[in-house]
Amino acid sequence: MWRVLFKAQKVQQLKSLNLRQLAAKATAPKLLQLEQIHIEEAVKMEPALAIYTPEIWRRAHETFQNHGLETMSFLRIVTGNPNILKRTPDRIINTLEIWRACQFGETLLHLLLTKYPELLDVTDAHQLLTLSSYLKSRLSTNKNVWKVLMNSPDLMAQPENLIEEKLNYMFDIMRIEVPEIVKSSALSLPFEDLRCRHIFLVRLGLFKPRPLKADPDEPTTNHRLYQITDTSEKSFATKICRVTLPEYEAFKELLARELERKSRKTEAQDEFSDED
Amino acid sequence: MLKIRNICLLQRRWKSGKRRWNVLQHKRNNCDRALETFDYFYGSVYGGRWKNMRAALLTEHKYVAMVNNFGDTEQTCSMLELDGAINIKSLIRLAIEREEIGIESNILHNRHAHYDIDDKLESLLRKQQEREVAAIYPTAAEDGHEPPKQLSYDRKNSDIDTKGQKDSEKESSSLEFTQSLTKALEQDVQVDESRIVDPQFGTGGLYEYVPADSIKGMQDWVAESEHYKYYQTSTDFPLIIEPEAIFQYPEHLAIYTYEMGNCAEFKPPRQCLTGVLSHFLMDGASVLPPLFLQVQPGERVLDACAAPGGKSLLMLQTLHLDQLVCNDVQESRLNKLRRVMQEYLFDYKQRWASKRLIFSQSDARNLDEYNSYDKILVDVPCTTDRHVLLHQDNNIFKPTRIKERLRIPELQAGILANCLRLLKPGGSLVYSTCSLSPVQNDGVIHMALQKVFNEYGITARIKDLSQHTALFSDIYRFEQPKGLKYGQMVLPYLPANFGPMYFSKITRNT
Repeated sequence: MWRVLFKAQKVQQLKSLNLRQLAAKATAPKLLQLEQIHIEEAVKMEPALAIYTPEIWRRAHETFQNHGLETMSFLRIVTGNPNILKRTPDRIINTLEIWRACQFGETLLHLLLTKYPELLDVTDAHQLLTLSSYLKSRLSTNKNVWKVLMNSPDLMAQPENLIEEKLNYMFDIMRIEVPEIVKSSALSLPFEDLRCRHIFLVRLGLFKPRPLKADPDEPTTNHRLYQITDTSEKSFATKICRVTLPEYEAFKELLARELERKSRKTEAQDEFSDED
Repeated sequence: MLKIRNICLLQRRWKSGKRRWNVLQHKRNNCDRALETFDYFYGSVYGGRWKNMRAALLTEHKYVAMVNNFGDTEQTCSMLELDGAINIKSLIRLAIEREEIGIESNILHNRHAHYDIDDKLESLLRKQQEREVAAIYPTAAEDGHEPPKQLSYDRKNSDIDTKGQKDSEKESSSLEFTQSLTKALEQDVQVDESRIVDPQFGTGGLYEYVPADSIKGMQDWVAESEHYKYYQTSTDFPLIIEPEAIFQYPEHLAIYTYEMGNCAEFKPPRQCLTGVLSHFLMDGASVLPPLFLQVQPGERVLDACAAPGGKSLLMLQTLHLDQLVCNDVQESRLNKLRRVMQEYLFDYKQRWASKRLIFSQSDARNLDEYNSYDKILVDVPCTTDRHVLLHQDNNIFKPTRIKERLRIPELQAGILANCLRLLKPGGSLVYSTCSLSPVQNDGVIHMALQKVFNEYGITARIKDLSQHTALFSDIYRFEQPKGLKYGQMVLPYLPANFGPMYFSKITRNT
């Protein structure tokens, strides 16, 4: 369910949301008071908000304001995730504290929560901290963890072994560095799709992994990771690979069969060697 | 015995594990070598289209199922149809009807295509030679020296050549030599004074002087560019290309395929009531050469390089054949072929073996029953582009086989020339390879036609099949617009991942 929510959210926001723009928007109008007109506007955008009394609105607004979130951000969060108004201030504060423990810094955290209000549904502090520390161990800084979450918030709902599988693939086989990974939403792609797109590019001769001892400053001719992963099937095939869509679709089918056959073969071999 | 205390004290080994870059680095194997060569060669021949072919070649290929007429034919057909496969015969009938309606609008639209492949190959050869020279004399340009224009190693290594070629080569090489010598005398007027042998000290030493013709340590070195030289463009033999008049799809042949874009698989063959297998799975493009050979009832046919037997079996399944001679060079390959025939032919021992189906083991260049076959299928050994990219074993891109690989066109031309001699006057043959290389396709046909004309006075006509291959355009992706001189080619294309398969039909003049 998480993933579906985020996908919808992302499609809505990806177009308009350039990070800088958002930051500018959030800081420009210094609104500190919640007016009736704001509430009306919000209800117009999200009818589910109509059931709450002005008292609830005021209480929630105050809670958020006390934690540094401005009225505009508050409105954006509430319209994105109306259920927040149901919660007691204590619960909201708890969630904010959990997020604060990830140490992204206040501004960045607010940007993240405004972009994806669903993230405020988190209740399990332990799980979140485990995830963020795991991501930090792979991506080296808290800022990178934040960037990754900005691009693919559905990481929250993925089990660690799946993330590990994708990260290992990108680091070891595609030989892509951290800065490029955090700029793309590759981690929200299922592992099979990521691998299929990569193998397709390799077989077309359009993607060559960097040599192990290559100079890191040397520019590559490969497509950027965000071009590979943040595109629809059709634009990936036609714009990036420059082949027709039927070709890519046939390839997907053939590759799936090929890999399945290969795994079956290795399994059979393993069994055989066990018997020996 | 291992005590618990000892386990606690076991030290972790920090330096173990494969982590060094030179261990992690992918070792270059034969498939990589093949891919590299193809990237360079086909990349410049086919341009942007090569990358689509590359992806298709590196991916699993598609099969067609040929129904065995000696088994439960109807049951097999209905089983395949239930799985959604389509009979090629019905597809062709549809195509013929469509063509009749649409009148011959798009036939012959590219008869006079410009063969820009000639220029491409020429520049490729030049570039490759420059690269090789640069590899031997890496600093030549920096020192300001002019690199030697051409190192003709082929003169020394061409012992395998047939006699006739040797003679002509000798002539040409001596011609070259005198030319370059006179040129050198004209051009290099400034003679290095320090190296002049003063006649007063005797000129005897000069007579013993032999110019160097190979570089020490590089005697075994073979230049890749040698391979491209086999593609000649000058024609000095009568060359007639005419459209093939008729094409008949054999009445009893049932071949099933899935439509373009459908990558489903066929069921494995099963045992029929008669004890033979129900259908034969083969690469889709391999059905075309025997189909276009158009075997007629009562003809004597030779399959010059028969193993593993798919094409021979197809010709037998047309039920037209009078006698088929299957030749191959290796015993092991012939055994494979024999096994296939036993599995698919009913009453093999009594009715087929050494009566209507004859096996012969010999090099196709040494067969000598001249003027005795009506039809010959010449499916020559080639670089088998799909195989060398996917399989390590028996890979011709193995470094130790480089001479064999570069000489492949010579072998192919030898086989084709000999097969032209085996044909009865008026008989026809189909030459086919599973390679994309123009050197092994058009280049070889050119060489062979030249050779048989020069040595035996045999002339031949090349049949243009493009009108008939158009009937198959629903199933295969053909080379279009046609950059080929003498034949047709099926290109690997992901939704219809057949081929590569080049074929050309040649008829011997009476």
